[in-house]
Amino acid sequence: MAQARLARREHLTGWAFIAPALILLGLFMIYPIVWSLWMSFQVGKGMNLSFGGFANIERLTKDPVFLRALGNTFTFFIIQVPIMITLALLFAVALNDATLRFRGLFRTAIFLPCVASLIAYSTLFKSMFANDGVVNQALMALHVIGGPIAWFSDPFWAKVVVILAITWRWTGYNMVFYLAALQNIDRSIYEAARIDGVPAWARFRYLTIPMLKPVILFTTVISTIGTLQLFDEVYNFTAGTGGPSDSTLTLSLYIYNLTFKFMPSFGYSATVSWVIVVVVGILSLIQFLIARDRRSS
Amino acid sequence: MSSLTLRGVRKSYGNVEVIKGVDLDIDSKQFVVFVGPSGCGKSTLLRMIAGLEHITAGDLEIGGQRMNDVDPSKRGIAMVFQSYALYPHMTVRENMGFALRFAGVAKDQIARQVGDAARILALEPLLDRFPKELSGGQRQRVAIGRAIVRNPQVFLFDEPLSNLDAELRVHMRIEIARLHKELQTTIIYVTHDQVEAMTLADKIVVLRDGIIEQVGRPLDLYDDPANQFVAGFIGSPRMNFLAGSIVEKGVDTVTIELANHGGTRLTLPAGGGAVGDQVALGIRAEHLGLPGTGTADITLDVDVAEHLGSTSYVYANAGGEAVVIEREESRHETGKDRITVSISADKAYLFDSKGQRLR
Repeated sequence: MAQARLARREHLTGWAFIAPALILLGLFMIYPIVWSLWMSFQVGKGMNLSFGGFANIERLTKDPVFLRALGNTFTFFIIQVPIMITLALLFAVALNDATLRFRGLFRTAIFLPCVASLIAYSTLFKSMFANDGVVNQALMALHVIGGPIAWFSDPFWAKVVVILAITWRWTGYNMVFYLAALQNIDRSIYEAARIDGVPAWARFRYLTIPMLKPVILFTTVISTIGTLQLFDEVYNFTAGTGGPSDSTLTLSLYIYNLTFKFMPSFGYSATVSWVIVVVVGILSLIQFLIARDRRSS
Repeated sequence: MSSLTLRGVRKSYGNVEVIKGVDLDIDSKQFVVFVGPSGCGKSTLLRMIAGLEHITAGDLEIGGQRMNDVDPSKRGIAMVFQSYALYPHMTVRENMGFALRFAGVAKDQIARQVGDAARILALEPLLDRFPKELSGGQRQRVAIGRAIVRNPQVFLFDEPLSNLDAELRVHMRIEIARLHKELQTTIIYVTHDQVEAMTLADKIVVLRDGIIEQVGRPLDLYDDPANQFVAGFIGSPRMNFLAGSIVEKGVDTVTIELANHGGTRLTLPAGGGAVGDQVALGIRAEHLGLPGTGTADITLDVDVAEHLGSTSYVYANAGGEAVVIEREESRHETGKDRITVSISADKAYLFDSKGQRLR
C-alpha cells in the first residue's frame, strides 16, 4: 500500500518535472502542426475560411505555379545534394590526411561559409554574379565565355547560381560530419589494407565509403530536408519573386508568397507545406531502405 | 620464406631519435620476438620493416633485397595488428579474400586460399559472420587468417594478444606457436609481455630507448643477461637487486658488502670493478635458497605472501629494499613475519653502477 503511494508520488513528481517542457512543446509545436493539418482542409481567402475537404489537394494538381515550384525544388535536390555530398566527402578525406600542411586552415576555410551571415553572403553572391561582376569578368578574361552570362535573368543560369550558393554554404558543414567519422576509424584498418596491396581508390571505395555509410545517410537526409525547405537564398537573390519567370521558385518560397504576398490563402499554403512533409518522409524512407544494413535485411 | 637484415637502422621524428641504430640478422623460418617496455621503439621498428614508417637511415633487406623504399605491399610481408584491423562491414570470408581481389587472383583461387586458411585456423563455421559477431580470440584468428591467405615471406605481429583476456592469451599463444611450426615462415613478433617472448621466441631481441640491449635465445637471456636491464626485464617475478659496494678485489673475484643486510659479505667470481664501487647484486626469486644452503644468509621482513598452489611468492624487504622469494616446498616458513634466505654466489649476477654486468 505504502509502496503504491510512493510509486504514485514518484510518477507525479516525474510529470511535474517534464510538464513545463511538455506544455511549451505542445503549445508551440504540436498544436501548430495539428492546426496546420486542419488548415490544409480549409478553403477561402484571408480569414474567410470554410471546410473544403480535398479541394486543396485537387487545386494542387491543377496549379501550374505549384508544379513549377515542385519541379524546381526537385531539380535543386537531385543536382545539388549529390554534388555537395560528394564534394564534402572528398574534402573530408583529403583534409584527414595527417601529412597535409595547413590542415586546420583549410578545414576552417571550408567550414566558415555555413556560419557566414545569410544576407551578407547573398548580397556578395549577387554582386559577384552581376553582369559586370567578378565572375563574368574572370570567365571572360580566361576566354571561357565570349560575353557576360546573365546569371540572374536567365532561367538556367539562375538555377546554377542558387546551386552554387547553397553548395558553397553547406559543403563544409557536411564535411565536418565526415571528418569526425573518419577520425573514428581505426588507422590500422588502412594500414592493413596498404600492406595487403589494396590500391588507394579501392580503399576509398570499399573501405571508407562503407564505413561512413551511417554518416552519409545522415547527411543525405538532413541535406534533403534542407534543400526541400530552400527559401533564404532564392528569396534574397530574387527579391522574393523566385524569378526569372518562376525558374527559381521553391516550395517554401511559394508557401511564403501564398501566405504573405498574395491574397492570403492560409488553407492552400498549409496544404503545400504538408506536401513538403510528405515528400521529405518518402525520400528519407527511400534513403533508409537503400542504406539498410546487409545483415538486418 | 625469407631472411631479414637490419643494418644501422635509425628513425627520427624531427629532432627526436626513436630508433638509434639497430643491427639485426633474422634467419629464415625464425621466430623472433621484439620485447621491451612501452616507448622502447619495438613497434616503430616493426612498422619500419612493414613499410608503414619511413626509415631515416640504414638498410633493411628482406630475402637479400634492399626494401627501404619498396611499397609495403611489395615487401612480401603480412601484418597482424593489435586492434585486429578487420574491415567491419565485411564478413570473415570477405575480410580474408579482400586483398587477393586486387592482386589479380581468380575468384575460385581466392575461395580455395580462403578455405585453406580457414581450415588451418578452424574458422570454417565463422566464414559468413561479421567481425562484430565474433569474440576477441576469433577476431584475432581472422586477422591471422587474412595474413596467411597472402602467403607472405615474413609475418609481422604487433602485440597481437594485448587485447585478449588472460586465459585466451595463453590459448592464442599456443595457437601461434603451432602455426609457426605448421607454416614454417619467418615471424617477427612485438610484445611487451616477457612471458610471450620467452614462450614463443627462437630469438628474443630486448629493446630499450631505441637500442638493442641484448639478442639471444630465451634461456640464454634468462641465464646470462648482458646487463641489469635485461636481467630485470626477462623473468617473472622480476630479478631481485640488492645494493652493495665492492670491499675487496681478488684475482678473479670480488667481495661485496650488501648495504641493507648488516654488513653481509659475499665473494663472487668476477673481474672488473674497483674497491669502493657501488654495485647491484642480482639474484632471482627461485635462487634464494633455504638458510645455510648458500654462500651467505640474509634475513628479511615479510610484507605479503602469495600462494598459487604449486608455488608461493613471498614479498619481503630489508631497509626498504624489496625482495621476492619463490618457494615450491617448505611453504610453512612463508607465513612468518621474518624469513631467512640464502644467496649462492654462483647463482648471483653482479652489475656496476651503469647497469653493466661485471663478469
